[in-house]
Amino acid sequence: MEMANNGPHLERRKAVSSIGMIILLVSFAMLFASLLLGYTVFRLTNEVWPPMGMEMVPITLPFLSTLVIAASSVAYMNFEKAYSAGESKLTSRKVSYFMTLFLGLAFMAVQFELWAQMADIGLYVSAGIFPSLLYTLTWVHAAHIVMAILALLLLLPSVFKEHSDTKIIWILNIGKFWHFLGVIWLIMFVVIFAF
Amino acid sequence: MAFFEQHIHEEPKTFLSKYIFSYDHKVIGKQFLWYGIFFLGVGGIMALMIRWTLAFPGEAFPLIGGLLFPTTNGVIPPDTYAMLFTMHGTIMIFYAITPILIGAFGNYLIPLQIGARDMVFPLLNMLSFWIAFVSAAILFISLFIPLGAAAGGWTSYPTLSTLIGSPGAGQTLWALALFLLGISSTMGAVNYITTIIVLRAPGMGYFDMPLSVWGLGLTAILNAIFLPVLGAGLLLLIFDRVFGTTFFLAGAAATSGTGDPILFQHVFWIFGHPEVYILILPAWGIVSDLLSFFSRKPAFGAKATALSMTSITILSTLVYGHHMYTTQMSPLLTQTFMTLTMTISIPSAIFFTNWLGTLWKGSIKFPTPMVFSLGVVFVFGLGGLTGLYLATVTTDLYLHDTYFVVGHFHYTMAASVLLGGYAAIYFWMPKMFGKMLNETLGHIHFWLTFLGLNGVFMGMMIVGYGGMHRRIYNPFVYEFLEKLIPINTFVTWSAIVMGLAQIFFVYNFVYTIFFKKEKAEANPWGVGTLEWTIPSPAPVYNFKEIPVVKCGPHEFGNPALTGDRDFQYQTEEIPAT
Amino acid sequence: MGIFSPVLAATTAVNNSQMGLIEMMAPPEDISVHGNLIDWLFAYTTGMNILFFILVCIGLFGFSWVYRASKHPKAYYTYGNKKPHIMIATAVGLSVFIGVDMNITRIANNDYVNVFTKWPKAEDNPVRVEVLAQQWAWHFRYAGSDGVFNTEDDIVQLNDLRLPIDRKVILQVLSKDVIHSLYFPNARRKVDAIPGRLTRIWWEPTKAGNWDIACAEMCGTYHYRMKAHLTTYSQEDFGDWLAEASDKALQVNDIENPELFWGWQWQW
Repeated sequence: MEMANNGPHLERRKAVSSIGMIILLVSFAMLFASLLLGYTVFRLTNEVWPPMGMEMVPITLPFLSTLVIAASSVAYMNFEKAYSAGESKLTSRKVSYFMTLFLGLAFMAVQFELWAQMADIGLYVSAGIFPSLLYTLTWVHAAHIVMAILALLLLLPSVFKEHSDTKIIWILNIGKFWHFLGVIWLIMFVVIFAF
Repeated sequence: MAFFEQHIHEEPKTFLSKYIFSYDHKVIGKQFLWYGIFFLGVGGIMALMIRWTLAFPGEAFPLIGGLLFPTTNGVIPPDTYAMLFTMHGTIMIFYAITPILIGAFGNYLIPLQIGARDMVFPLLNMLSFWIAFVSAAILFISLFIPLGAAAGGWTSYPTLSTLIGSPGAGQTLWALALFLLGISSTMGAVNYITTIIVLRAPGMGYFDMPLSVWGLGLTAILNAIFLPVLGAGLLLLIFDRVFGTTFFLAGAAATSGTGDPILFQHVFWIFGHPEVYILILPAWGIVSDLLSFFSRKPAFGAKATALSMTSITILSTLVYGHHMYTTQMSPLLTQTFMTLTMTISIPSAIFFTNWLGTLWKGSIKFPTPMVFSLGVVFVFGLGGLTGLYLATVTTDLYLHDTYFVVGHFHYTMAASVLLGGYAAIYFWMPKMFGKMLNETLGHIHFWLTFLGLNGVFMGMMIVGYGGMHRRIYNPFVYEFLEKLIPINTFVTWSAIVMGLAQIFFVYNFVYTIFFKKEKAEANPWGVGTLEWTIPSPAPVYNFKEIPVVKCGPHEFGNPALTGDRDFQYQTEEIPAT
Repeated sequence: MGIFSPVLAATTAVNNSQMGLIEMMAPPEDISVHGNLIDWLFAYTTGMNILFFILVCIGLFGFSWVYRASKHPKAYYTYGNKKPHIMIATAVGLSVFIGVDMNITRIANNDYVNVFTKWPKAEDNPVRVEVLAQQWAWHFRYAGSDGVFNTEDDIVQLNDLRLPIDRKVILQVLSKDVIHSLYFPNARRKVDAIPGRLTRIWWEPTKAGNWDIACAEMCGTYHYRMKAHLTTYSQEDFGDWLAEASDKALQVNDIENPELFWGWQWQW
């Protein structure tokens, strides 16, 4: 309670929106947790997994996705750092921003490739619970990635403009979301594709 | 402990920015209130149609029946009946109670009672209302499409809710509407929680907050955590219906690699049981406050009440399995859920004792908000105790899916929340609209509603014990239910009384807002919480200066008080004895 | 005046029925050996509830009357955080929990473990019935003379279940389309019929007669018409019926019809 009325305004505004963002991420986490719980239940109650007559998806593409999304998180971290550093790191700011954007789009491209591959080996959406789960989890995750890319595009003007204190709040929060999706993908990769 | 400086907002100038796309939490609260009252009316008329069918099967619904069901001369057909009870449940829970208690009072009270100028994220707040609006529009449209709206019960268990049981777009739109509403409520929840954490006035600790804010805050926490679970279930349902996934479609018994309809029940009730508390917690908080306000003494064991509500919040997440006894879960799960369910009665009994303790040796006045609050104590006592039959597995085997369950959850969710909501409306009316509702009409409204609802829900429990199962269009095709005709008729008459009683409220409400000239005082009830330190109705910026809180919300009758007031404002120091 | 006619009709119906209120409120007649356990627990819980609700009412109405402002102008200033206050609140909480809740949980648990989930074994020689629910009908299948299910001599009944008294009955239940619930009001028992998942229920009839079976889980528009008939016979009558039905089954069963073989292997 004593922290009231001291410290710069910006710091507190930052704290406030990160509290809000964290609560929001808890909600998102519950969404993915429920879906993964559903996956786990089916996985554990079925003796043969993947169910008879179905092939496991080759791990190459999901692994590639993991690498891409990890790299995009690193790029975003660089962007955050470069933005906070102000005008001195203008080039690095631009490079890391477009790197993130590119990697985000690349992740989506790999996902599309993954869905095409799944269709090739006969895993259609309506072919049973195993492909249903696979598609649903990757779809829902991809939908969030699209949201994150749109949010990233919102930042496009500020990449070229002067450094602004209010924008840093946006950048940090979108960053939280971006990293969160990376973590979710990692969990999905381990639970669904690696095991 | 305001985290940051809050600026004084300027009054919006245009009609659009003032009344439609307003960022002001008070306006958004009122928008939610009108929205909720509208759907309360719609859901109420649906309830009357359901009751009419049960008491007078084959008779035309009076007055509007011929208009609504021209093909059957005003008689409600069975498929429409299924649609009606589905929509009645959905509308009452998600589009009436949620907006009134959480949307309207959550928005209106949280900033005012914790001494803030607005919510932390006003834009999010506005979006939350308009998404709820879109969701309601979708639900409403679904009533008029070919094959009709969703008709699988508000629980929408697959496989009835998949394409097997309900072709047509109604069920998909239903799921979509609820998904959107979930997004809206989650936005609201993020806003409420953050606001409570960061915008409390300097000096206000968590236990200095009124219990209403406690109730609303706990509700928001449950919303933020469990609405996404419902969202996941609804997404899977939508995917099943639209993209042909097979989550809830089972193949022949014991084949692997097929879906399972029971999965939806698990997901639904993981959300659904907390949802019961999502609805009731704000009412509990409000009632705990009002009992203290009108007994003119501090809330008995306020800290214990707050902590009991918190522990109920936590326990509510662990007991959902008692909705699924008849699906024959493993015996171990059944026993675990039965025992866990029972533990909820400890905190419930404690705060019940605290409610009665608040009345004890008070100096009790009985204006309308107080009689409604006392009504809540009565009906929630009944509702809570009748829950015991449904928690023990053996009695549940008989009572599950009978009208006993319907009576029980209406007592807990409908009756107490409705009465709690009315108490709140009568109480905060002067602060919201600057005018007082008429007391005489308020008392008439209370007594008719109270008698009506006890007739309805007690009657339902009796026919339920008589064996009448839920969601049946015409119970009298069964021989063993024939003797229940008179009780069903009585229930319907009670429902009609209860429905007509609302006319007193609507008249009172509309007249007061639009035609009554007399203005209310700043603090007509003599209560010390922060919202009563400012003029009525509350100005756009709420507090000219952010108040500094020096005592709790229930400082009544302190013997050391001097002067002619028997209460003190939260901004005043407790006098030394 | 038109809208009042049903009302008048109903009022006369009330007057004509000679049944007392208590009789009207009673649950359907219990025709099972163990239904009384449920009735007893219900009555016990009701007793406890009435006791506690009277306490609530005494507090609610009593305090409201005794401490009304006109009579008791000065409230007693307390936060209810003194030791006796806390002890009373805790005592009430615990007495409800231990006195009522744990008690009924124990009783329910005992009944559940010792009766309701104590499934009859093969050596108990129960009547075995397979039940298939569909929108909106019940199919019942008896194993027939060979004692094996899903063979051509099975007795298949539509909406017509016949059981002997004084012999355990075990029913395995499955659904063809949506979730239903096999509900025996007279036995105080129900179990969900779920697609893709076998559930079961057992009970023992005690009284011969004609009864209703209903579907308790919302299953679509004609949910309310998903009614089956239960006939309970004395053991001899049941034997007679079974013999007759077996003969008839062999004649009428069309073995070319794959629809007939919806049964499954019995799972003990």
